[in-house]
Amino acid sequence: MRPKWRKGRGTVFGALSVGALMVGLLALATMIAATVLQARRLTAMDATSQAGLALSLRSVEVPGREFVPYVVAAQVDPDSAAERAGLSRGDVLVGVGGSAVSRPDEVWDALGKLGPGSSTVSWIPKPEKLWGPLRAVVHPERPGELGVTLAAVPVGSPAERAGLRPGDALISVAGLPVTGTRQAWELVVGAVRQGPQVLTLVIERGRERQELAFDPIVQGEIPFQPELWRAWGRFLTRIGDPRYPERAGLLSALVGSLLVVGVMALFAFPLGVGAAVYLEEYASQNWFTEVLQVLIANLAGMPSAVVGIFGLEIFARSWGLGRSVFAGGLTLALLVLPMTIVAAREALRTVPRWVREAAASVGATPWQVIRFHVLPYALPGIFTGIILALARALGEAAPLLLLGAFLYVTYVPQSLLDSFTIVPLQIFDWATKPQDGFAELAAAAILVLIAMHLVLNSIAIVLRNRYQRRWA
Amino acid sequence: MPASNPLSRQAGPGAPPALFRPPSGRSTKERLIRSIFLACGLLAIVITLAAAGMLAGGSVPFFQRVSLGEFLAGLKWSPLHEPSSYGVLALIADTLVITGIALLVALPLGLLSAVFLSEYANFRLRQVVKPILEILAGVPTVVYGFFALRFVTPLLQRTFLPQLQFWNGLSAGLVMGIMILPLVASLSEDVLFAVPRGLREAAYALGATKFEVTARVVVPAAFSGIGAAFILAMSRAIGETMIVALAAGRTPAWPPNPTQPMLTLTTTIVNIATGDHEATAFIWSALFALGLLLFLTTLVLNVASHLIVRRFRQRYA
Repeated sequence: MRPKWRKGRGTVFGALSVGALMVGLLALATMIAATVLQARRLTAMDATSQAGLALSLRSVEVPGREFVPYVVAAQVDPDSAAERAGLSRGDVLVGVGGSAVSRPDEVWDALGKLGPGSSTVSWIPKPEKLWGPLRAVVHPERPGELGVTLAAVPVGSPAERAGLRPGDALISVAGLPVTGTRQAWELVVGAVRQGPQVLTLVIERGRERQELAFDPIVQGEIPFQPELWRAWGRFLTRIGDPRYPERAGLLSALVGSLLVVGVMALFAFPLGVGAAVYLEEYASQNWFTEVLQVLIANLAGMPSAVVGIFGLEIFARSWGLGRSVFAGGLTLALLVLPMTIVAAREALRTVPRWVREAAASVGATPWQVIRFHVLPYALPGIFTGIILALARALGEAAPLLLLGAFLYVTYVPQSLLDSFTIVPLQIFDWATKPQDGFAELAAAAILVLIAMHLVLNSIAIVLRNRYQRRWA
Repeated sequence: MPASNPLSRQAGPGAPPALFRPPSGRSTKERLIRSIFLACGLLAIVITLAAAGMLAGGSVPFFQRVSLGEFLAGLKWSPLHEPSSYGVLALIADTLVITGIALLVALPLGLLSAVFLSEYANFRLRQVVKPILEILAGVPTVVYGFFALRFVTPLLQRTFLPQLQFWNGLSAGLVMGIMILPLVASLSEDVLFAVPRGLREAAYALGATKFEVTARVVVPAAFSGIGAAFILAMSRAIGETMIVALAAGRTPAWPPNPTQPMLTLTTTIVNIATGDHEATAFIWSALFALGLLLFLTTLVLNVASHLIVRRFRQRYA
């Protein structure tokens, strides 16, 4: 009779080991879930871009409160929905659909909550449209210091609505003294971003000082169309503008990845399968094959950074290929060659000896045995290995980072000697950019990469399960 | 390696005269094909030797100026500031700390997962879980790096490590542990599964519980194989580039502190290679020296792991 504690201990241990496995699987699930969540903002980002807007984060120094962030319309496309609503380049967005916004992320989140349709957007116009050109003159009270006066007040501007006239001198905005033309506008932005919408403006008209209520905010209706699939479609098929995340695209990286991996496949797979056939079918065991095997094993264990140094020195510099697609493909070939050799050898080894003997006994030459008997049986296994190697190569970034592949290129590589970027490096670039929106791009590109990875792996698994022959 | 391939013997010089001799045109073709395959194999040798030769040759100018002692025992790595110094000890320490964190995560979890898969799970569950582990092992490392930088670090900062810096060795190490977990699990499972049934049955026959069989018989029997898996995982962690380049930062920490930015050997290589240096600058030779160091370290680990596994296989073959 076993004591009870012995059994309990076993149960705990079993539970622990299940738990350990779960941690691994949970990590994968968490990673994918977190990435999906992050990439969700892509739709709203695309909607702002489609409305003709590109956003950018700026900040203004406010006395006593350090820096206050604000979001500015960095680009407004001609004849876009945003321009028709009255927005222009340089305007500061302060509200979208009722929620205050201080950074691009918040604009996109507000849009994400609102859903499709027209949204009320409020903004502080850029200085020329807020109160027209300002002129710096000698301060009316303190000679030697600059004062700021309005030169011409545009029709329909917030300044005109508030009753300001040309010639008025700006003394203070929301209690803070005006010292410069740009600074006056920044005071407005800072004050609005901190709360009150209607500001108190002290001006001097003639010799008389007046207090005015000034509402700098302009509102307009902009139709936003968040479209999940179209947003993804545009993301995948445009080269885009690398400065603004809502306008960036993955096309050049995708094409770059396919080209580089294509060049790699051209070199690595024939060579790798050839070396495997030699080792398995031709070579007899002697010191030469022993050395060969050790070397291949070492090549397989080489860190990808070292492979990158090799690619940089030999292909890019000695051979003068530079940071081209061709050099990238060769470097990756170096990385997957040993994988291919190992996989192909394993596949060849599963074909039993009697297949070879039977073929040879009816007069087949060694090549005929390989060509008509061994390879057909080994082919599914070899293909499985090749597909797994492809998946690995598509995700590999380090060697090409070292080779000096660009992180972002604004064109699609046209020839094998063009420089390029690849999806993993594009992710690396976006992941390190601190501005709003780039983490979302990285997350979206990661989903693309993981999707490719899963598809290739599933093909490999299906291939293996379907064509794996069990030799009795 | 099938040594006794009957076909290759036939073609070899010492073979007895064949009864049937193929037409000579055919045998020329055969020889040609054979030499094509041989060339493929030779190319693999040439590439590996060229890589090793390039690293060794390229670092000669480096070691002419910087002594080996200064390189390995120097604490300060600042190749671009005068006076320049090329000590990698701090880089090695940072690399080892991150690797250590990764192993602390991966070893217990990986070993327990392997025990579960090999001893507790039934055949169908294994059929499902093993491909998942393979997929997890193949997830591009840049994905793990992004995960470390954008999720793990903020999560740790929000929960129990508010003093954690934006770039730090801790989250890079933790995530690297998750990265090598499938490797550890998969390799350990292989060796646990390879422990002969007879050992388990003998232990059961003596009245041992399942836990006792697993913990006292199977795992000790597979110990050397598990050790080999650990060594291989360590080699992978030392050579890993993208996770540390993204999440660990670019400044060396001495003394090593995982809550601070850390600079590993691989990140240093990235820094040099992506830096804007003149083609003749001395720093390029430092790149080769670092590459050589990394190559030799991982080489020793890989060979050790390989030898241990071979001995393990021989014992239970």
